[in-house]
Amino acid sequence: MNRTSNNPLADDLVRPLFHTSVWFYGSVTVLASIVLCGAAAWGYQLWYGIGVAGINWPVFWGFYLTNFVFWIGISHAGTLISAILRLVNARWRRPVTRCAEVITVFALMIGAMFPVIHLGRPWLAFWLAPYPSAREIWPNFRSPLAWDFFAINTYLTGSLLFLLLPMIPDFALVRDRSTGLRKRIYGLLALGWQGTTKQWHRLEAGMQIMAIAIIPVAVSVHTIVSFDFSMATVPMWHSTIFGPYFVAGAIFSGIAALIIAMAALRRLLHLEAYLHPVHFENLGKLLLLMSLLWGYFVFAERLTVWYGNEHSEMAVFWATQRGEYAPLYWTMVICNFVIPLPILALRQLRTVAGTVVASFAVLIGMWLERFLIVVPSLARKPLSYTWGEYTPQPVEIILMVATFAAMILLYMLFSKFVPIISIWEMKVGNQPHPPVVTETEDELAGLWKARP
Amino acid sequence: MTPMDRRRFLKVTAITGTSAALASCGHPENQIIRFVPEEELTPGIAVWKPSVCPLCSAGCGVIARVMDGDAEVFRNGQPGVTRMGLARKLEGDPAHAVSQGRLCVRGQAALQVTYHPDRLTTPLKRTGERGSGAFQEVSWDEAIGELVSRIDALVGGGQAGAIAFLGRPRRGRRQALVAEFLRALGAPAPVSFALFDDGVARHANELSFGRYQLPTLDLARARYVMGFGADFLGTWNSPVAQNVAYGRMRQGQPGVRAKFVQVEPRVSQTGASADEWVAIRPGTEGIVALGLAHVIMREGLRPAAAAGRAGGLVDGWASGLPAFTPQEVEQRTGVKAARLERLAREFAAHGPSVAVIGGAALAHANGVVQALAVNALNALVGSVDAPGGIAFTPTEAPPARPARSLRDLLGASPQLLLLDDANPVFATPAAARVAEALRSIPFIASFGCFVDETSALADLILPDHSFLESWTESSPESGAMEAVSVTAPPAMRPLYATRAMPDVLLEVSRRLSRPLDPPLPWQTFEELLQAPPAAAPAAPTRPASAAPVGWADAQFDGDAATYPFHLLPYASQALLDGSLAHLPWLQELPDPMTTAMWSSWVEINPHTAGQLGIAQGDMVEVSSAHGAVRAPAVISPGIGPDAVAMPVGQGHETFTRYASGRGANPIRVLAPVEEPATGTLAWSATRVKLAKVSGPDGSLVLFAGATRERPDHHGRG
Amino acid sequence: MAHRWGMVVDLDRCTGCEACVTACHAENNIPTVGAAEAARGRAMHWIRVERYWEGEFPEARLTFRPVLCQQCDNAPCEAVCPTYASHQTDEGLNAQVYNRCIGTRYCANACMYNVRFFNFFHPQWEKPLQLQLNPDVSLRESGVMEKCTFCVQRIRAAKLEARAEARELVDGALQPACAQACPAGALVFGDLNDPESRVARLSESPRGTRLLEEYGAEPKITYLQRQGWHEPDIQ
Repeated sequence: MNRTSNNPLADDLVRPLFHTSVWFYGSVTVLASIVLCGAAAWGYQLWYGIGVAGINWPVFWGFYLTNFVFWIGISHAGTLISAILRLVNARWRRPVTRCAEVITVFALMIGAMFPVIHLGRPWLAFWLAPYPSAREIWPNFRSPLAWDFFAINTYLTGSLLFLLLPMIPDFALVRDRSTGLRKRIYGLLALGWQGTTKQWHRLEAGMQIMAIAIIPVAVSVHTIVSFDFSMATVPMWHSTIFGPYFVAGAIFSGIAALIIAMAALRRLLHLEAYLHPVHFENLGKLLLLMSLLWGYFVFAERLTVWYGNEHSEMAVFWATQRGEYAPLYWTMVICNFVIPLPILALRQLRTVAGTVVASFAVLIGMWLERFLIVVPSLARKPLSYTWGEYTPQPVEIILMVATFAAMILLYMLFSKFVPIISIWEMKVGNQPHPPVVTETEDELAGLWKARP
Repeated sequence: MTPMDRRRFLKVTAITGTSAALASCGHPENQIIRFVPEEELTPGIAVWKPSVCPLCSAGCGVIARVMDGDAEVFRNGQPGVTRMGLARKLEGDPAHAVSQGRLCVRGQAALQVTYHPDRLTTPLKRTGERGSGAFQEVSWDEAIGELVSRIDALVGGGQAGAIAFLGRPRRGRRQALVAEFLRALGAPAPVSFALFDDGVARHANELSFGRYQLPTLDLARARYVMGFGADFLGTWNSPVAQNVAYGRMRQGQPGVRAKFVQVEPRVSQTGASADEWVAIRPGTEGIVALGLAHVIMREGLRPAAAAGRAGGLVDGWASGLPAFTPQEVEQRTGVKAARLERLAREFAAHGPSVAVIGGAALAHANGVVQALAVNALNALVGSVDAPGGIAFTPTEAPPARPARSLRDLLGASPQLLLLDDANPVFATPAAARVAEALRSIPFIASFGCFVDETSALADLILPDHSFLESWTESSPESGAMEAVSVTAPPAMRPLYATRAMPDVLLEVSRRLSRPLDPPLPWQTFEELLQAPPAAAPAAPTRPASAAPVGWADAQFDGDAATYPFHLLPYASQALLDGSLAHLPWLQELPDPMTTAMWSSWVEINPHTAGQLGIAQGDMVEVSSAHGAVRAPAVISPGIGPDAVAMPVGQGHETFTRYASGRGANPIRVLAPVEEPATGTLAWSATRVKLAKVSGPDGSLVLFAGATRERPDHHGRG
Repeated sequence: MAHRWGMVVDLDRCTGCEACVTACHAENNIPTVGAAEAARGRAMHWIRVERYWEGEFPEARLTFRPVLCQQCDNAPCEAVCPTYASHQTDEGLNAQVYNRCIGTRYCANACMYNVRFFNFFHPQWEKPLQLQLNPDVSLRESGVMEKCTFCVQRIRAAKLEARAEARELVDGALQPACAQACPAGALVFGDLNDPESRVARLSESPRGTRLLEEYGAEPKITYLQRQGWHEPDIQ
């Protein structure tokens, strides 16, 4: 067994688990404080009632549902991309997959919190679960919210398995390098991994099954999230395009989140040797593709509504196109299309910094997109007497900021306890320093093969 | 000491028993004293008890749904809890000829008068400065003793004439008792005051028809209705009865759908239901009416003789009103000559037709002649005392022409004022200086249930029961074709240590050191009500004036150059004249036209607003030569570019937690212009200027989003 | 045969007086939320009188339209509720089970009429305004959706009474608070399954339309449109 300390690759990648800087503790404190503020905000809301949020008649859904859709969208980065890359056996995926899968799990956890936070009586959220109650009442399976419950839980379970399976050999590696309590904990997590051929075979088989299974689940999850909207006959919600539109948007924002996360890891954990510009370039190309796809969906959606000229839909259309939501709408278009397109299309700009800039723009744009789906339609329902408006309140903003802090915090803590880059997969690749130029062509070919 | 009867014994034992049980808990402030129930109730079973809605003068009979419940009450000066019958809902009394089982929005909210959190529960004596609102609780014995000593002092000093009584316009035996009390005391007759008191309409009806009374509209059988500024479906006269009749007029006559035309400068809630709105210049309603009469006579659609006395009162009637040709009318009112001719032909041809004038149209210095013109028009088409026309309810006690006005009262420098639920400080222009005059009265005793701007000046408050706790009576002057008279016992027991005002007067009369001459023969108001009513007064018909009245143009305060806009205040659908601003249900009721809640506003024509750079919700200042008020703007296509309108009702300084310090009161800036024949305030006769003060300050609370069903592309409604 | 409760709103009779609005508040214990909350869009009116302006001065016109829960046969609010808080009774009422509501507010979004109202906070009745409460109607707590019930408490009471007296319900004797108050008689309530009832006959009127009928929710409220005036022939 050659998992000794003179293995430079394992040394590099395990180092964050054993060495912690002051900066880390400082950041964790700050982030944890913000998360605690969020918890306090939620406590405040529980105590006084959901009315402390800005939702009202008729805009019954606001920031919380926006954040819900946004975070579920972010969750698509990981598992879906990683699964696709695994299936097409893209070798450049190896340092990327785990960063990505972790995003999925944490974003899902955060996203799934929002529907509960948003409930009028969150302490009764368990009524969404089918359990044998004394009154023999089951959830209403006609309700898209019940579908959500199952879809998100399935996706979360699947993503967790998908994340945990390839972590087993790395847990074993950490176990073998540590002593005391830590050794016992990682020993438990390693599930008795000894690296036998049989175990490797089973792991590979499990990974393969999960990679195949998780793709339809991921696609269905965001489709079902889109059904929360498109199943209701609300102007500009009731659209057949919403399923693929949401999935595309989810992958779009997911890749952006992944790029930002990778750039941060690369910088903070000094993983320049493993997260090479080629990864950013490749992900940048994917992001470009998604940006174009997103633009296409928006164009198709807007054009059909405008051409259809149905008066209640037109009210929403104009409110976003040139009414009170127009500033947000055009910011979204700029962030999702105008900024990323040149950056990602021009090879010279498709650098680490360039893709990160584009990704930040995309995250802002995609958040706005979610907001612009949720709010303007409710503010412009068919009876114009009931038109309304929505102003977010401090509690909603604090909770939103807190979830971003929570995401970063969870990510930081994760990178402290688990090697954020899959060590064994890197070893299997047997190339600690992936070649830059030659592999690109292979990867592209792999990608094209992945096309349906 | 009160003698210890069985009931009191039981109460005392209950009190001490509970106290003893609770004293051991160690929190004396948490003691709950539970009184023995005073009535037998079946839990959960509703009993319906009749009463009369007191909120306006229509006198609708109501029934109250009484169910048992635990209430915090005052009994024998002691707070505690008892199980008692509580009114839970009001409905129109199906047996009452005016309300006919229906009730208006204000009547529905009348329930909250009784349960208002700021209702006065015990007598109060002023401790601080006048108007500071500092009062201390006193016992009834002390309060009545104080009032008696004040009256004694004046009567003993030969100054009984300096005792004055100011109340709301009421009729019936409560008012008769007050009059009797004052007469026996040697004091002048009681004075009633209300902002929208319809004195002009009654006066004109007396001239035209010999009836000092508001008309009853037989809309149910009318086929053509011409309204002249009368908000008869909202706030004017007898709205419930008129709405019932209106519904029948619209869809209750098989095969016929009547036409309704409303002539007014601003679309009222009533005008909104009209088939045709005729926009005119303020104060020119009578000209339109006379123009219609001119056309009808000129074209021989009806013989002029049919107008009888009512027509003869209008100068030039006999010669066919030569001064009111359609062209002339067009010039003076803004109504196109051809349209006037068409309306005249329709009005004459599709009878029974009826014209209605009231409210804002009569709130001008020329109010009487405006009303006379419409009365003459009604007479011309034969719609007086005819099916589908106007009629006068044959009431036993028609309204009496007031002997004195508020101005007379204040002018006589009274030494003691008895105040019964009137609020002239709120409802008179600041320029009339009523508050100042009231402050100079040495002693004011108020019977109101709430502290408002006027009763805040009182030295002594002797709070009355709410209407549900009182004997109520109604003999409406209008709203029914037959005489209606209702006397109803209290629907529930009093919650607090309040007393019925008539009973207080009777007790005062007994305790005076010099007995009244003749003494009042009743011990209680209930006894009075059960006594056979006095002989019905003589037939109400009085000889009508014979001298023709010439047309007079409406006069406006403020010159048109400085003050380019007419200010048109109007009775708020919810808050009426402001006396209902304390009821939260009505505060949160979206105004039917603007959907505003909890707000004041200024209605401005879009063109005017555009010129002045005013947008919806912007704060604007409305200034007359007599003052200024600020309120948010509501852009409305239902008002002409030469006028602005404001609802009356908000702008209370002191009137419970729900109304105090909310909105603006347009009455305060009005010019004290009076209609000369009746002395009532001409509240539509003030010109104002308009200026934007700032952007929206959030005080305009609208329920609705858009104002149009299909707003334009910019989302503008 | 089961009842099927429905209503006819005669827009030609409605004068926008809003007696129905306060009657509903009084009957159904609907809280007032106060000026600050009303300004934030939290006012609750199970029935409202919508008004729309048409045209410009001096040809401007205003129309009133009372809107309450349309008690749809094919109600969009029911399908989306994950806990069956919103469901159809066998008498065709869209019932809202307050105790079952967890406050997703999805029903309110799905309802194109926006007639569902949400308790953003615990309703307050400043003492002693709680004495006005109708004991027959349960109070709703914070976080719960509420809406017009066609005064189901009155329907139940009337049915109990009829059963106790061993008779059928009398058409017109049973009315929700809004219809009972309505002075102009614009609101007519009754059993659509009784062909002789006033509501059944009126809902067949040629003036009858349904609000937002194109959405296919099959509302049980029929709006009788305003009728124009046409000069009759004079004999």
